Amino acid sequence: MNQAKCLLSIAFFGAIGGCLRYFIGIAFPFMGTIVVNLLGCFLLGFLTFLWLNFHTVASWLSLGLGTGFVGSFTTFSGFCLDNVKLLLAHQMFTAAGYICLSVVGGWLAAKLGMTVGIYVGQRLQLGKDR
Amino acid sequence: MLIVLLGLGSSIGAVCRYLITQILSKKSNWSWATLIINLSGSFLLGILFGSKLNTPLYLILGSGVLGGYTTFSTLNIELLFLHRSHRYRLELGYAIGSYLLGFLLTLFGFMLGQALTMN
Repeated sequence: MNQAKCLLSIAFFGAIGGCLRYFIGIAFPFMGTIVVNLLGCFLLGFLTFLWLNFHTVASWLSLGLGTGFVGSFTTFSGFCLDNVKLLLAHQMFTAAGYICLSVVGGWLAAKLGMTVGIYVGQRLQLGKDR
Repeated sequence: MLIVLLGLGSSIGAVCRYLITQILSKKSNWSWATLIINLSGSFLLGILFGSKLNTPLYLILGSGVLGGYTTFSTLNIELLFLHRSHRYRLELGYAIGSYLLGFLLTLFGFMLGQALTMN
């Protein structure tokens, strides 16, 4: 029963994440993948460490939002394909900049999300314990 | 209509990713699930792009299913966890392995897709 609930939640939030990624791709024609990936890294860092410090969220909801929504929102294959397209268009400098921004930016965005998530999680837990 | 199918595709991709992660994570404390998912998904997206599908089908399968299946955020969270537990060598290897192999497999998939649809 719980497994079915988790799968349904991942499917539901995964659909929202995928559609939102599509719309952001339309809104930012050349930067769509970078925007979703950096935003998603921040968001997953925030959610993961929020839940590690503040344990009140049901597993189906945390899986739906983390694995479903953010996992589906960000894309690794789209990032790789963008680089192949840049290579085919002989835009080596753009590709190098794109890779650096994604790789370093994604890691830093996740770390920033983590820092904020830990802070908010601890504050919420403190408020609940009081 | 297209956006509904794209959303449905993302659902399928996300559920596949979750199930594969669950199956592969039971065996050890370090999981290769995300690496396997990202590399296989990139290879398949390369094939789709190279075989020049019509736009709606490419959007549903590529942006929908494979976009939902692969994940950039989980990779970075896993790198962050490795960093926090001071496993720097594994962190560096995992990052280089993901990005380099992901790129090469997408390129290889693209060429394969082109070759398959030549005639």
